[in-house]
Amino acid sequence: MLKIENLKAGIEEVKILNGIDLSVNAGEVHAIMGPNGSGKSTLSAVIAGNESYEVESGSIIFEGEDLLELDPDQRAHKGVFLSFQYPVEIPGISVSNFLKAAISEKRKQLGLDPISAKDLLGKMREKMELLNMKKGYLSRNMNEGFSGGEKKRNEIFQMAMLEPKLAILDETDSGLDIDALKIVANGVNKLKNKKNATIVITHYQRLLDYIIPDYVHVLHNGRIIKSGGKELALELEEKGYDWITKEADKKWG
Amino acid sequence: MGLIEAIKKYNLTNPISNVENSDAFTYFLNNGIPTNKNEEWKYTSLKQLVSNDFSVEAEGEEISQEELDKSTLKTENQIIFLNGEMVQKPEIDGVSITSYTDKNPSFEDAFTALNAAYAKNGYRIHVEKNVHLNDSIEVIFLSKNTTNNFIQYRNRIDLNENSSIKIIEHFKCLDKNLCFTNSLTNINLEKSSNIEFNKLQNHNDFQIVVDNTIINQDEKSYSTINTLLLGGKFTRNNLSFYQNGEYCESNMNGVVILNNNEFGDNHTYVDHKKANCESNELYKGIYLNKSKGVFNGKIMVRPDAQKINAFQANNNLLLSENSSINSKPQLEIYADDVKCSHGCTIGQLDDDALFYMRTRGINKDDAKTILTFAFASEAIEKLTIAELADITKKEMEKKLNLSLN
Repeated sequence: MLKIENLKAGIEEVKILNGIDLSVNAGEVHAIMGPNGSGKSTLSAVIAGNESYEVESGSIIFEGEDLLELDPDQRAHKGVFLSFQYPVEIPGISVSNFLKAAISEKRKQLGLDPISAKDLLGKMREKMELLNMKKGYLSRNMNEGFSGGEKKRNEIFQMAMLEPKLAILDETDSGLDIDALKIVANGVNKLKNKKNATIVITHYQRLLDYIIPDYVHVLHNGRIIKSGGKELALELEEKGYDWITKEADKKWG
Repeated sequence: MGLIEAIKKYNLTNPISNVENSDAFTYFLNNGIPTNKNEEWKYTSLKQLVSNDFSVEAEGEEISQEELDKSTLKTENQIIFLNGEMVQKPEIDGVSITSYTDKNPSFEDAFTALNAAYAKNGYRIHVEKNVHLNDSIEVIFLSKNTTNNFIQYRNRIDLNENSSIKIIEHFKCLDKNLCFTNSLTNINLEKSSNIEFNKLQNHNDFQIVVDNTIINQDEKSYSTINTLLLGGKFTRNNLSFYQNGEYCESNMNGVVILNNNEFGDNHTYVDHKKANCESNELYKGIYLNKSKGVFNGKIMVRPDAQKINAFQANNNLLLSENSSINSKPQLEIYADDVKCSHGCTIGQLDDDALFYMRTRGINKDDAKTILTFAFASEAIEKLTIAELADITKKEMEKKLNLSLN
């Protein structure tokens, strides 16, 4: 589904990603872990198409098409979704109107008939239930005055509504208490199927107790320095990052 | 012949007989049309526009019923002026509506002086005590000419004790010649009266407007002036409130959206003279292409005006590198127990918000439109007449579509 090859990218003069290789297949959950500043959020921003970052070389092939050739909205239409670490507040537009705009545009681009207001509302209600969301939430302004937990839940709610093929969850666990974390993780697990894939980006192992990854990758200085199964996350939790980052630093300097 | 020469020529054929008007005219001649040297006109220049050939108070061309129907908002109560003449007014119990000539005109600057000297057209609305009007009164000034024309209106609205009214006012020019309107409206609010005055300024590329609105408020009176500056070659609004009694409230709400080479200037003034009063001011400006804006909000708090609450905000969105806004809050506070706040922001659309929306599949232009609407929504939501909110939104959408594509 996704194949990233030798991806190098940065912001202005600063190089952040120094050659990323990553393959993700449908039905898989990948966790990307790493210390602060290792390039985790940059990787997710570049996949989603944030124009603040410059891609120096490499490719991101998603279902046979190079995402780097596409605008962020076109990537979304293809089925890429990014759950933001810091969701943006957009005063003046309600959650329901925001989603209506997003879904209408996606359906239009995919050549599908517009969804009726009734069906859309029904779907919103169903997904709200999945995430234990309160009534009245749909008419609130997008992320405005939301608590940290509400913002993260709102990200997963949008994911549920947009039904992406590839979901990237950037530090979705940060700022969540354990109850909220369980709700969010439960939502993500219920949305998982054989046709979609998830990349979970996290600093801590905690989230991976609830969203079980098939693969774990360690990112350091813009490179994936180690990959393994879910047991790698536990090892990192126990030993920290130093033991592998030091080894990697020796190799790449 | 430029505007000044045209006015002098008009004076020769229309000599002034009484001393008040003559004093006003002398003041105008001595001061002339304000230039950038005048602090109140520092960023606002009429120099080029008034060098065009003008007629003064030209007779005008016939306006058809069809043209009229297309121009009004089709409300129940309409005051209609065609080429300066009142041709229609509603009959309402407890409200007297007449055409108006100010017998004792006052002035404070060149334009109000010129208006005092020569304005002979206008309306007077007088609302009797305890009369509350549910339906709004629409005032439309329509004109049509074969030359560039300068026209003046002078209006007066009096609300007796405990009465209320809503007004929508708009000016339309139907020809493709410059149409320069210099209007002045005096509003006098007695105790516990309430006015909502809506200025719908969706002017065309030929309209030049200098508008003066002066509101005198007695105790416990309540005023709201909504200014919807949605287009026009040149607009200068002078809006002044004088709070002459305690416990009154003055509200100003503005939406400005300009495109191409349009220019809009909102000068507001609140004179807090008495204690326990409030003023609230919110102006939202959106500037596209080469449009330019000016905002100047002055709040005066006199020594007797204790325990007043004055709030002012002017937020501006510049959607093009060539657009500009000069925004100046001015506070003069001579009382010590007051709450005053003011804030002015100038910015572009938030790139993070745009990116966020695009990752959800909303295309760039739509995302910009949604964010721009969101920016203006706080001011639009304050409009109580749904049709005016709709007109404002449609005009915004039209302008955004034109400039984004």
